[in-house]
Amino acid sequence: MSRVIESDVCIVGAGITAAMVAERLAERTSASITIVEAGQRTASLAERTRTRARMLAYGENPYPNDHIPDQTGTGEMYRHMVVGGSAMHWGGAIPRYSPEDFRLRSLYGVGFDWPISFDDLEPYYQEAEERIGAAGEQGPPDCDPRSKPYPMPPLPLSYNLARMREWTDSAEIPFWTQPWARNTEPYRGRNVCQRCDTCAVCPTGAKYTPDFALDRLLAENRIDLVTRTLVRRLTLEPGTDRIAAAEAVNRDAPAEPVELRAGTFVIAGGHAWSSHLLLLSANSRFPDGLANRTGNVGRYMTGHWYVSGYIELPMRLYPGVFVNNSLLSHRFASPGPLERYVRHDLRLWESDVGRAPRLQNGDGRLLWGDEIMADWRERTASGATARIRAYYDVLPDRDSRLTLDNENTNALGDPMPRIDYRPARASLDLEAHTHDTIRGRFEHLARTAGGSVTSTRSSRLYEHPGGGCRIGDDPETSVVDRWGRTHDHENLFVVGAPTIVSSGCANGTLTFCALSLMSAEEIGKGLSQT
Amino acid sequence: MPETRRSFLKQSVATVAAASVAGCGPDGDGTRGADDAGAAQTVGSRAEPIPLPARTLRDVAEAVLPAELGGEGRERAVNAFERWSDELEPVAELAHPYLVPETRYSGPDPRPGWAAQLRGLEKECRARHGTPLAGMEVADRRKLLARGVGQTGPGLGSPTNANHVAVALVAHFFASPVATDMCYRRTIARQQCRGLDGAATEPAALGAAQ
Repeated sequence: MSRVIESDVCIVGAGITAAMVAERLAERTSASITIVEAGQRTASLAERTRTRARMLAYGENPYPNDHIPDQTGTGEMYRHMVVGGSAMHWGGAIPRYSPEDFRLRSLYGVGFDWPISFDDLEPYYQEAEERIGAAGEQGPPDCDPRSKPYPMPPLPLSYNLARMREWTDSAEIPFWTQPWARNTEPYRGRNVCQRCDTCAVCPTGAKYTPDFALDRLLAENRIDLVTRTLVRRLTLEPGTDRIAAAEAVNRDAPAEPVELRAGTFVIAGGHAWSSHLLLLSANSRFPDGLANRTGNVGRYMTGHWYVSGYIELPMRLYPGVFVNNSLLSHRFASPGPLERYVRHDLRLWESDVGRAPRLQNGDGRLLWGDEIMADWRERTASGATARIRAYYDVLPDRDSRLTLDNENTNALGDPMPRIDYRPARASLDLEAHTHDTIRGRFEHLARTAGGSVTSTRSSRLYEHPGGGCRIGDDPETSVVDRWGRTHDHENLFVVGAPTIVSSGCANGTLTFCALSLMSAEEIGKGLSQT
Repeated sequence: MPETRRSFLKQSVATVAAASVAGCGPDGDGTRGADDAGAAQTVGSRAEPIPLPARTLRDVAEAVLPAELGGEGRERAVNAFERWSDELEPVAELAHPYLVPETRYSGPDPRPGWAAQLRGLEKECRARHGTPLAGMEVADRRKLLARGVGQTGPGLGSPTNANHVAVALVAHFFASPVATDMCYRRTIARQQCRGLDGAATEPAALGAAQ
């Protein structure tokens, strides 16, 4: 016999976009909200001092139990399945996409336009920054547009970054401080950043992680959080296309099914597991999966690639002062008219690459003690290293795709997701031009400083991935409308990363959150207001 | 990795580590020294530390750590290494790389091998030179250690992966904030939760009033 959980809204997944939706609905409606999460809780704030110490000492995972061993897909995807999701581990970089990202086809004749503009999303960017607690510096308005100031002042530029900004200013490329989800003032009961420099695991609570929001909502009795419960499929109300229930299993008692009934369902499972759940939910009325009448679920998977490098600088820096802050430029993400399409961001960090202590000198001779120290000092006395990286967008192909992998099943026999990313032909045609342009800008920066680019590399890892349930006005080419409501099911929403049309050239989490808040506004319209 | 495989790895690490003893001399048969009578023979874990022969470890430290640490600084470095070694957990789940769904684990326990290397060093010294390691000049100790270390890469890497206890000790020290400050002769206090104040100023010279 099933355990039945009923609520007005059922949110599948307990990551950052779930926290955004739940928080907004809890504040503005009287709806009962259930969040169901396959994973469990991981290290609490109180435990993070210890897990941080072990990460530093031994490289251990600071978030125990942050995944489910048999819920592992194939292809580039996050493995986290845990309360808080991937935003437990994140560094907290929260740039916005650029206005151009939403109008690629109109402005440059490549890729796709979104059904919404930057201006449509801007209020939700602001709201996400306030919910998260963003600390940032206003960049030049033409490449960093915003209607209101950041909620908090930026992290201070370290001595190293200040010297580097003098250099980039002389190169006439505007850089400013990366916006972060880290407190520079006490904010919503959380501490101020203590510059521990291990932001993947923040021992002070200065970095936003979704568990803070979820714990507050739990303390206020505004949500129910059901953990260790894996949703296996969504089912329809008889005779309609409305979603009736989410069928799940309690991982501690797999023989006892759990049925979650709700008026509205919100899939907040991230870029891989959201499409996966829709595909798993195939039935006789939707044989290719829910919300998939036009065959777009799991398609247009996207992310951005990068070119990175190291620049030798003729200046004295002190690596370690503040590794987890960086300089950012969106100048080339908002480039104005182009003869040939290329857009990218730029990030700069202090680095000790090439200047770390070593066991052998350049001649291969083994060094001990004072010799190691002398060699190290010699290599750090007269120069410094900057790390530089440029994200550039990859235009997704329709066949960039998540599918069910029947060769890889979990313990319940459900096929796991498989992602085969594929760039559009236009992206491949532009790749060499993009790399040449970016490397040229690295060289320009290095020359301005009197330094040199010591190495570069390019990566085709699809960073900050999304897609699979992209938004659009036309059901023939999209899965959800601009509010995240599936075209096929009036009470089913998909929020966050799966809904993006393209991934821009900036970290994606803030955009995923803004899109989720936009969805939450629409979801809230159908619920009793407070 | 299935739990059973992890368990298997944990249970077999002592054998693997003993077989991987590198450079403990031709007579390095794992004979216990006088100062390691309590050395555990079982698989390492946080609950069952494997003490390293303390006297020999300090005699190695004198040869491989910077002399400018002085006696007290060197003792602090060795104590820190011993604590680190005591709390090392073999085959622990590692922080995972970005966008990689698979789970990675650290390697088997290196400590039985390191302990055997230290015991082997003492035995070799006595056999070849008629003296304990402490009786040898620092330069001679380094030659002896270099033979034991054999081929290495240029980088120090993680001490957990060091094939020789001397390299582990050196790697552990040079990864510390103390070593960074010593190199730059500045108070950088890397990864020390220093607060935001002071981030913007040039790190103070070591020993300068803060």
